[in-house]
Amino acid sequence: MSLDVKLIDKKVLKDVIELVKPHTPQYCYQCAKCTSACSTSKVLPEYKPHLIVALTRLGLIKELLNSGIIWACSECWKCAEYCPQDVAPVEVVIALKNLAISMGYKPPEDLRVMAKNVVELGYISPPIEVLSKEFEMYSRATLGLPQLIKPYINVEAVNNLKKFFGGVYE
Amino acid sequence: MSKFLLFLGCTIPTKQYAYEISVRNVLPRLGIELVDFPEAGCCGFPLKGINKKGWVYMSARILSLAAKKGLPILALCNGCDTSLRKVKDMLKHDEVLKDEIAELLSREGVKLNFNVDVYHTIEVLHDFIGVEKIKNLVVRPLKGIKIASYPGCHMLRPSDIPRPEPSGEPKKFDAILSALGAEVGYYPDKGGCCGATMLPYSPKHAFRLTAAKIRNMKDFGFQATTTSCPYCMEMLDSKQEAIRAELGDDTLSIPVFYITQLVGLAIGLKPKELGLNLNLSPVEEVLERLGVSLYE
Ligand code: SF4
Ligand code: SF4
Repeated sequence: MSLDVKLIDKKVLKDVIELVKPHTPQYCYQCAKCTSACSTSKVLPEYKPHLIVALTRLGLIKELLNSGIIWACSECWKCAEYCPQDVAPVEVVIALKNLAISMGYKPPEDLRVMAKNVVELGYISPPIEVLSKEFEMYSRATLGLPQLIKPYINVEAVNNLKKFFGGVYE
Repeated sequence: MSKFLLFLGCTIPTKQYAYEISVRNVLPRLGIELVDFPEAGCCGFPLKGINKKGWVYMSARILSLAAKKGLPILALCNGCDTSLRKVKDMLKHDEVLKDEIAELLSREGVKLNFNVDVYHTIEVLHDFIGVEKIKNLVVRPLKGIKIASYPGCHMLRPSDIPRPEPSGEPKKFDAILSALGAEVGYYPDKGGCCGATMLPYSPKHAFRLTAAKIRNMKDFGFQATTTSCPYCMEMLDSKQEAIRAELGDDTLSIPVFYITQLVGLAIGLKPKELGLNLNLSPVEEVLERLGVSLYE
């Protein structure tokens, strides 16, 4: 097998190591225990955390990011429990997601909506009306629950949120 | 009397209303005082993939607001509970991150302080109220009903930070169910994942994870299941019909309750006081056995 060196990005491993501290992707020895335990892998066999760690260490992440498969992680943290080397593949996946966003990749649409709602409302969704067993619509008000207030009112706070999450929906 | 800040997170106050209703009606009857905490908002956990530092900032802000009030936090959602405890741990061990977050918060006049205790519903029920007290208040025992506790991932993991169920198994959860008179027991992958976080990527795949859980419960003879996570509830209960349709399997049917709804039923509260009319799974199957009408 020959590697296409143009795809190798040395900076990637450095960035990931920084983001996953104190976990240690450098120590992965490819035992694939993470993949045996992985929830997502059970329903989406092409998702393999040990492979994600291996490709990341080699700096070969372009394919991973282009395929969008990193967004399939169900964040069950089983891989981190089973890894004998304290790699925490889930943290590597989160780091790759962050890198993808900073490189201009878009997350799944529902996540973009969540980000927009958090910046604008302080919650991932506005309070919705729900249907009951008797086919009646209920809102917080009709259920007798207190009205929600906007948690982020300070201008600086909203600016902080915009800086972190604004890029994915603007 | 123990007093807690009622931290609702996002999913509960925007759609999983039955959890909020049952918590507000049940816990005070068990001697817990709840103080509203509406300025908290989202813990940021669902957005960590977009920007990890943004998530840390959001949870750190909530911890700081709570610390100022001088009260422990009751986090109802597994995700919120994990988020706050994980961020506490990160801030404790990373000086650079701590200074950066402190600077961000200071711009909005909030002083970073993460010296605040965080507890989950299961801990308040088990560790603060205690199974003995719950047992003594039971007037409608859940006798003969075999109920599968479903903790959800983040009640157990990551185990390098304090978890509501430190044993890695839902032992406290089952102890509470036993105190209510229910039958408990093993089924495969009890600590497995409901798939909620996979939803934005692919509902089809996420549903298959949930379906596997329901199948395991049914194969092991359980007549109902219960959780204390709004995401698990969303998958197991709210989406149960969609899951049946997607997989073309009508046997994927099981009554699903919040643990606080079961505690409330057992101590004699009415279904409406527990938001049980909002559960979309066939909870009537259990109510009938208890001689309770959903509409009383
Ligand atoms: S379990 Fe750990 S060491 Fe083994 S392959 Fe996965 S990340 Fe590498
Ligand atoms: S956290 Fe993600 S990568 Fe790790 S086991 Fe769960 S689904 Fe797989």
